[in-house]
Amino acid sequence: MRDEFYKTLASPIWWGALVIAAIMPFVLSSYYVHILTLALVYVALASSWNIVGGMAGQISLAHSLFIGIGSMFSAALLLKLGINMWLGLVISAVISGILGAVIAWIDFRFQLGHLSFVLITLAFAEMGSIVVEGWDFLGGASGLLLPKDTGNFLAFQFGGGHGAFWMMLALAAICVLVNVAILNSPLGYYLRTIRDNEKAAQAIGVNILRYKITAMVISAMLASVVGTAYVRYLTFADPYLLISPVITIEIVLFATVGGLGRAYGPALGALLLVPLGEILRGKLGSTLPGLHYFIYGIVVISVILVTPRGLLPLFERLWARWRGPAVAGKP
Amino acid sequence: MLEIDNLVAGYGGVPVLRDINAKMAAGEIVGLLGANNAGKTTLINALSGMVKPISGRILFLGEDISKLTPQARVELGIVQVPEGRLVFPEMSIRENLLLGGINAHARKHRPQQMEKVIGLFPRLGERLTQSAGSLSGGEQQMLAIGRGLMAEAKLLMLDEPSLGLSPLFVQYIFEIIDKLHADGLTILLVEQNLNLTLRHAKRCYVLERGQVAVEGDAETVKNDPRTRSAYLGL
Repeated sequence: MRDEFYKTLASPIWWGALVIAAIMPFVLSSYYVHILTLALVYVALASSWNIVGGMAGQISLAHSLFIGIGSMFSAALLLKLGINMWLGLVISAVISGILGAVIAWIDFRFQLGHLSFVLITLAFAEMGSIVVEGWDFLGGASGLLLPKDTGNFLAFQFGGGHGAFWMMLALAAICVLVNVAILNSPLGYYLRTIRDNEKAAQAIGVNILRYKITAMVISAMLASVVGTAYVRYLTFADPYLLISPVITIEIVLFATVGGLGRAYGPALGALLLVPLGEILRGKLGSTLPGLHYFIYGIVVISVILVTPRGLLPLFERLWARWRGPAVAGKP
Repeated sequence: MLEIDNLVAGYGGVPVLRDINAKMAAGEIVGLLGANNAGKTTLINALSGMVKPISGRILFLGEDISKLTPQARVELGIVQVPEGRLVFPEMSIRENLLLGGINAHARKHRPQQMEKVIGLFPRLGERLTQSAGSLSGGEQQMLAIGRGLMAEAKLLMLDEPSLGLSPLFVQYIFEIIDKLHADGLTILLVEQNLNLTLRHAKRCYVLERGQVAVEGDAETVKNDPRTRSAYLGL
């Protein structure tokens, strides 16, 4: 089962795509580099969410909490206590991991159904945003302003535009690779048995609690790390962006449109929808405010109607038809 | 091999089963009968650990297992084939079978076990790479049983294996059960189908409203008037 992961690591297509992506900042204007950086943020976030939401089938809306801890808390540690942001990144990731484990344990202990799990995780997310808005240490409702990015790598600075893009590219690649690794490992199979049928998973002896916690902890820690990197890029830690449940909804949307539970699905969704949303807003936002939301909504609805399992399976079907029959889909 | 001692179990503290006493010897094939809602599935779930006992004990090979987790019981060889053929539809038949043998004990012999299962169900062997969701109901039941065997079951508990199958498939599945029994496997057969079970199980327990109403060898159970009343709810 693991061979597939090593094959990916050795794949020239993978490295080729990374190299082409890495030279983008030299080709594109800074506006498009910004859009691509944002897209990569969401590639990383949607891929990290996919571990819980896609593979284990647990629609967690708590991820804004982990992103919020990674961003607001590490920013506060730096500004209020002078703690280096690399260390802040680690501390936030550990706290997010612990919180994730607690949420997964609650889910197991009280045998929450799908809807209850969604609602409980949403409640956690709301609690998080109330705490941030009401606690001056974390910047309260007005947020926190980070020092200017001077490119000091040791202080978690990447030198703005290009540097931030490469850092995000690396993070997004890691998150996608983690997806590939998990899907091709026993953990990936166990998570899918839990998603397909928890009772049958128990009947074959899958330790449901252990794997639910493992998935949630990995996912939460990745989301937290991406949160720290994202806030460094934004420079301004805005609670209404970073710890609002809206960011989770966006992630869930990208992952679903791209292909839930697939290694490259969420990445594909984010890479298509983030630029689409940004460009529509840029072109139409000033002339006809609101129209870009309308068009964006129509695109999303059509995708879900045409291919409920996401764009990735659709592309694979088209690819298979083009290559001729007898080409089976990937896991 | 298995001994159930004054078992009380249910959901959310409300007992469904009351004072169940039962015994199974190694190599035996025992039927568990009863109408809907009699508590058959609750009992099998209590044995596999999916339902926690309120009081009483379950002994397996002399060891009290009533506090063990489901996966620890699978490890010991208590394997349930759940009702309704719960296969993993999006995975291939091979993956489904391999997943049956994930407990530390069975993992070592997976290739050999796989060959045995394929020998038992050649139809599965022919379509190892096909997705489990594309199988017919009867084939899914074969896969569910095969997956249970992959766990190196010592006690195989089959929950309603005949449910929703065509008569031909039911006959086939029961031939397999007889074959497994002949190979020395201990089998607990949970069924609604009275006559079919009495033909294949040497001994039976009939549950009625969470209690054992009748027990004994197949002939006794068949002729006991309480069996009929337990079924008709009279």
